Amino acid sequence: MTKSNKVELMAPAGSFESMAAAIKAGADSIYFGIEQLNMRARSTNNFTIDDLPEIHEVCSKHNVKTYLTLNTILYDHDISLMKKIIVAVKESKIDAVIASDYAVFNQAKKEGVKIHISTQANVSNIDSIEFFSQFSDVVVLARELTLKQVESIVKEIKRRDLRGISGELMKVEIFAHGALCMAVSGKCYLSLHSNYASANRGACIQNCRKSYVVIDKEDGVELEIDNEYIMSAKDLCTIDFLDTVIDTGVKVLKIEGRGRSADYVHTTIQCYREAIDSIEDGTYSREKVALWKERLATVFNRGFWDGYYLGKTIGEWNNEYGSKATKKKIYVAKGLKYYDDAKAGEFRMESHSIALGDEVLIIGPTTGVIQTFVDELRLNNVTTDTVKKGDVFTLPLNEKLRPSDRLYKLVDAQ
Amino acid sequence: MIRITHQREKCIGCNLCVEVAKNRWRMSRKDGKSTLVGGVDKKGFFSVLVGDDEWKENKYAADHCPVKIIKMEQV
Repeated sequence: MTKSNKVELMAPAGSFESMAAAIKAGADSIYFGIEQLNMRARSTNNFTIDDLPEIHEVCSKHNVKTYLTLNTILYDHDISLMKKIIVAVKESKIDAVIASDYAVFNQAKKEGVKIHISTQANVSNIDSIEFFSQFSDVVVLARELTLKQVESIVKEIKRRDLRGISGELMKVEIFAHGALCMAVSGKCYLSLHSNYASANRGACIQNCRKSYVVIDKEDGVELEIDNEYIMSAKDLCTIDFLDTVIDTGVKVLKIEGRGRSADYVHTTIQCYREAIDSIEDGTYSREKVALWKERLATVFNRGFWDGYYLGKTIGEWNNEYGSKATKKKIYVAKGLKYYDDAKAGEFRMESHSIALGDEVLIIGPTTGVIQTFVDELRLNNVTTDTVKKGDVFTLPLNEKLRPSDRLYKLVDAQ
Repeated sequence: MIRITHQREKCIGCNLCVEVAKNRWRMSRKDGKSTLVGGVDKKGFFSVLVGDDEWKENKYAADHCPVKIIKMEQV
């Protein structure tokens, strides 16, 4: 049962920090990868197979579902590890595996493990859903469909009464926010050709995000192109037409970003949680959308567009490398301990300074993300306006601080 | 002599090293990672000393490994 009771909001979790942030921000479910068989295999932020019981334990306490991505291309030498992962998923009670390879469908079915059909399978029509219903209950549609096509698929599922392996009507999931590929997902071989780094083994080096020039090799003349970033798609953002998205009848909204930081997960999930809830209670408005978009722009983004969903603006390209985030975080202090009685956290400044009025983030594997303004600082139990490197100080906090937490100052990115 | 070192834990099993230097690398069907033939484990870093004639193909594997976990040095 999702918190909204209608649409499930699924968050990316590349680390315990991001997982805790997702839970706190109101996600209904999380998805994550382990070891090398997931689409973020290159990322340093991967869980291991031994983390599965803890992931389940923490999430189930908060009624948050857990899905493991096992959606790379698989070779013969991967089969044994894949089978081991499926068994571990079953034993640790992870809710489902997100997969695109038939070997995984087959093995999961044998073991009685639920699967979601990954967007890597590019499901774009109703007959494919009929086919996949023999293995699954949830299909993540190709990210390149329009909302009209999505709506038509959802209607047809009901008309044909297509039921998945659990006997329930097939559920449709789509991506609501985050990075888009320049190619149809799962069909890009640029990175493999240029660097032997297969995107479909989770090792994409993101050639499409770089700037390029076109040179006539015969005479060395450089062709003029308006934008050097000719392959870098802007990021998908649906918050300004989320009501239309939900009206299509999709049941799950997925936020992209397993390689992103905990504060990205925190901000993005918070905004989409509020948006989904406000659509349900009838308070969704242009004013709220403007505020959400402002908040979404503070964390990693390449500029926003509506992807392919509205079918009108094919190909909106980024015009610079990296993020257009309006804020950036600077590491300033390490968490030391929490005083329950005084409701204050003690920190040691390790770089830069903090002053009254600064906006700060506290990020940790259990804490997730706490975002707050500094309205009081105490140094040696005396109030002060600012603290600098080396100072051990306290900050009023309503939530528990842990020694594994780190304090960041939020500043304007420019 | 050449020392080849492999940080095996970080291997993503792409198969490249096996394709380009097939006498020095094998894919493990146990965990889907590549194994340095003759490699000795020292805290997760497997290394082996080989003759200079193996430089070319293993250097190619090291340079093109997508997760950059193969190191080559002349000793």
